[in-house]
Amino acid sequence: MLGSRNPYGRALVHVVVTVALLVVIAPFIWMVLGSFKGEGEIRRVPPTWWPEAASLDNYTQLFARLDFGTYFTNSVIVALVVTAGNLLFCSMLGYALALLRFPGKRALLAVVLGTLMIPGVVTFVPLFVIVANAGLIDSLPGLFLPFLVTPFGVFLMRQFISGLPPDLLDAGRVDGAGELGIFARIILPLCGPALATLGILTFLGSWNNFLWPLVVAQTESHYTLPVALALYSTGQNNTQYGLLLAGACVVVLPLLVVFLIFQRHFVEGIATTGIK
Amino acid sequence: MKKIATALAVLALVLTGCGRPADNPSAAPQASSTIAAGPATGELTVWAMGAEGENLPNLLKDFEAANPDVKVTVTAIPWSAAHDKFTTAITAQKTPDLAMIGTTWMGEFAGLGALDPTPSSIDKNAFFPGAWGTTEVNGTSYGIPWYVETRLVYYRTDLAEKAGITTPPTDWDGLKAMAKAMQDKAGAKWGINLQPGGTGSWQTVMPFAWSNGAQLNNGDAWTFDTPQMSEAVKYYQSFFTEGISNKAPAANETAEPSFVDGSQPMFISGPWMMSAVEKVGGKGFADKYSVMAMPTRQTSASFVGGSNFGVFKNSQNKDAAWKLVQWLAQPEVQVKWYQLSTDLPSVSSAWQDPALASDTKLATFGTQLQTAVAPPSFATWEQVAARFDAEIEKVTKTGADVDASLKTVQSEAQSIGTGS
Amino acid sequence: MSTPTLAAPVGQRPTLSPEVRARSGRGHPGEGRAAWILAIPFTVLFAAFTVWPVVQSLFMSFTDTRQRDLRTPFSVNFIGVDNYVRALTDPVFVKAAANTAYFVLVGVPLTLAVALLAAVALDKGITRLRSVYRLGFYTPVITSIVAVAVVWRFILQPESGLLNTVLGWFGVQGPNWLGDPAWSMPSLIMMAVWRNFGTGMIIFLAGLQSVPYSLQEAAAIDGANGWQRFWNITFPLLRPTLLFVSVTTAVGYLQFFEEPFVMTSGGPLNSTISLSMYTYNQFGYGNYGLAAAMSYLIFVVIAVVTALQFRLLRENT
Repeated sequence: MLGSRNPYGRALVHVVVTVALLVVIAPFIWMVLGSFKGEGEIRRVPPTWWPEAASLDNYTQLFARLDFGTYFTNSVIVALVVTAGNLLFCSMLGYALALLRFPGKRALLAVVLGTLMIPGVVTFVPLFVIVANAGLIDSLPGLFLPFLVTPFGVFLMRQFISGLPPDLLDAGRVDGAGELGIFARIILPLCGPALATLGILTFLGSWNNFLWPLVVAQTESHYTLPVALALYSTGQNNTQYGLLLAGACVVVLPLLVVFLIFQRHFVEGIATTGIK
Repeated sequence: MKKIATALAVLALVLTGCGRPADNPSAAPQASSTIAAGPATGELTVWAMGAEGENLPNLLKDFEAANPDVKVTVTAIPWSAAHDKFTTAITAQKTPDLAMIGTTWMGEFAGLGALDPTPSSIDKNAFFPGAWGTTEVNGTSYGIPWYVETRLVYYRTDLAEKAGITTPPTDWDGLKAMAKAMQDKAGAKWGINLQPGGTGSWQTVMPFAWSNGAQLNNGDAWTFDTPQMSEAVKYYQSFFTEGISNKAPAANETAEPSFVDGSQPMFISGPWMMSAVEKVGGKGFADKYSVMAMPTRQTSASFVGGSNFGVFKNSQNKDAAWKLVQWLAQPEVQVKWYQLSTDLPSVSSAWQDPALASDTKLATFGTQLQTAVAPPSFATWEQVAARFDAEIEKVTKTGADVDASLKTVQSEAQSIGTGS
Repeated sequence: MSTPTLAAPVGQRPTLSPEVRARSGRGHPGEGRAAWILAIPFTVLFAAFTVWPVVQSLFMSFTDTRQRDLRTPFSVNFIGVDNYVRALTDPVFVKAAANTAYFVLVGVPLTLAVALLAAVALDKGITRLRSVYRLGFYTPVITSIVAVAVVWRFILQPESGLLNTVLGWFGVQGPNWLGDPAWSMPSLIMMAVWRNFGTGMIIFLAGLQSVPYSLQEAAAIDGANGWQRFWNITFPLLRPTLLFVSVTTAVGYLQFFEEPFVMTSGGPLNSTISLSMYTYNQFGYGNYGLAAAMSYLIFVVIAVVTALQFRLLRENT
């Protein structure tokens, strides 16, 4: 660190930040601990911290009733396809919007940014009618097709690629690579960090998506994990908090894993997305 | 410039093509069919929410056994956002053959032309009249009540004894006196836990209004600003102004914790709360509380809710669908469903079964169901109810003038209309 | 359009203004064709799934469409800007707009400040186990809102909730957080800041880590202290990052829906109802034309606020 920071100052910072960390994850910890408690204890006021009689009951009940394999697979497939689609298609258009010259470019960019700002609720039902008329209801394609490209992803990739030196294109052209070849072989390999960033954000969004899968799936075999978990924990007049908390822990676990694996690239990625 | 002119021309053409056709009087009650004889055949898709959706396949095994040529597939859907799922499915014409439908959704779905009228083969007198009323939209019934619930006053028997109450009150003054006594003599912070307005509060307020002879509508007109309604709302308000009920509870608070620890030893709710309070209260708590009917004014009326079962117009197998519905209404099947799910039967004769008659608390629910009422099945009910809830919130939390508030509700309700 | 600002990221990279890129004045042969090939997937999917819903909903906003009309979209009456006028004169809509403005004006700066603070603390203060802190601070972002709501409801309980208990240790009588109309919005803002600062923090962290060490060193040699270094060197270089986080946070907060929907249902006394939630309710009642008009009003607000932010936070090199 620059300058001489006295060790007491550093210790103080450590203490403050650690306390802040504990405050921030306290609700999360309570959620995890709560998943091991009985229904009565969870609802009790004043709330307890450590479970009085910790048990795996909520989890065993959940897994017994939940066809976990099917829902988990559906969630994974949809999230992976959506992420892959976005990584590829958003970088394609992002590159074009960043570095290429072509007629209609400004209009296209305006369209992308404009779509970003339209509230999703207003296009929800018309979109469903379109998907229904296309015969995609109750199918996995119906779950992922409308989300294969998002304006946010295009925006992000465009930012990053704008930051790359344009001489790369010239070099590529001189070497005789076609325009698309330049994209595939020169630009794309340099996009690693940005792709990791986009990948995590897209995966997160798709994984936690609830309303669209609920409405598109007609049979339980096409439910994703959040839909299935809501099925078992929310009732007409009451909520099963134990199952709800256990379900929330189950859903968040893969996200934590994905984040841990990719966070190194993730942090580097934002650094070089040209938004710094 | 040319592009803009063309665009505007196209737009003008499109707009001139718009317009509603002359209103066809489809509001007349529709003729209903009869169910053909013989077993059900073919395939059926059924949607059901939550725990009912999970349990239904078990019940339907018997139906499939009695009708070997039929195959029923149940899809369970979560309660949260279930309404959205139905409305989008109806819009896109992707509905199942039949489904469990919330009682307050009937008006909306029938108004969208999505439901099939109930065949005359199904006898409406088998059901509780209030429950049957939830299936009727514009004089035609669509579906049957499947299971019901109603609201009673829960109270702590041990604390009531402490407060000197030995017999449960049967009128409005008695109820208030009991709540006050709970505060004065049994150490309760609030005598009775009443919802001070907000979403769904009408389900607690309207029972008092109905008990006083108030009605929500007269034909096609809303009737919120009647003297009977005003009297009832003033009574409700008095609990808050006299400090018997909490004006400012934390949002979305549940009733069990304070019921169990005695700070709010009375509340009004439905049968599902029995297992909820017993879970929090632990062993032996079942002996420490009881339920009583809504106090009588002109009558003792309560709110009847639950779920109905309806068949969709688009179904390709209406015959089998109605046969399934008819089967669900048989008293033995209703009792079996109660045993599987603890949902209360909508068929009155089913209540004579020992499984239900032997439980005193349940029997009280059964008695109340005979005089329980539901709001009219207008498509606009949810929107009007939200306005009513908002005014009740002002009346209870800020002490707003009841008559002025009811006038506001009335004018807003009239402008929203009944959607018919 | 303020896009040129975005096209020119700050840093030690060559700027890419359109003039510079027009090296040969016309673009290379095949460039246009390649660009449109690259644009095909987006354009196809956009045309299939976005254009019609936007056009249809925009059209609906000028008619008296109700839910039952969705199957016969043209059998409706054209009523011009009636829906828009109705929305703007609806007292609940106006209240929702005020609530949303409150939420954004307080929530966005607060979220940015906490995110920046956390990023600076992690960047400069913590060396070991930094990834643990990073993950910990990011956890609220990935947890499901329903579970979060359950937990926060317990935290904010007036009598025995965690927050009021802790305040009690300092002798402060905590208010009825979710039940008092004056404190309900601050409660939701608190919850939103907690939930969202992690994203901003991660982005700021990266931005901080790319500030060249050499610059800091030179300044230190020149005698600048920590605060001066931060304010004069780091902060200006962070400006584009600040813009990105500010814009994305504002766009998100202007549409805030989940927090009031799950925690307070818009109450008490409409103190937490948001524009998005009120619009969602209108869709639920089947008032499609009106709800579409409300949605597009929200869109206009988002566009204006975004443009404002670009103006305010733009790089002035």
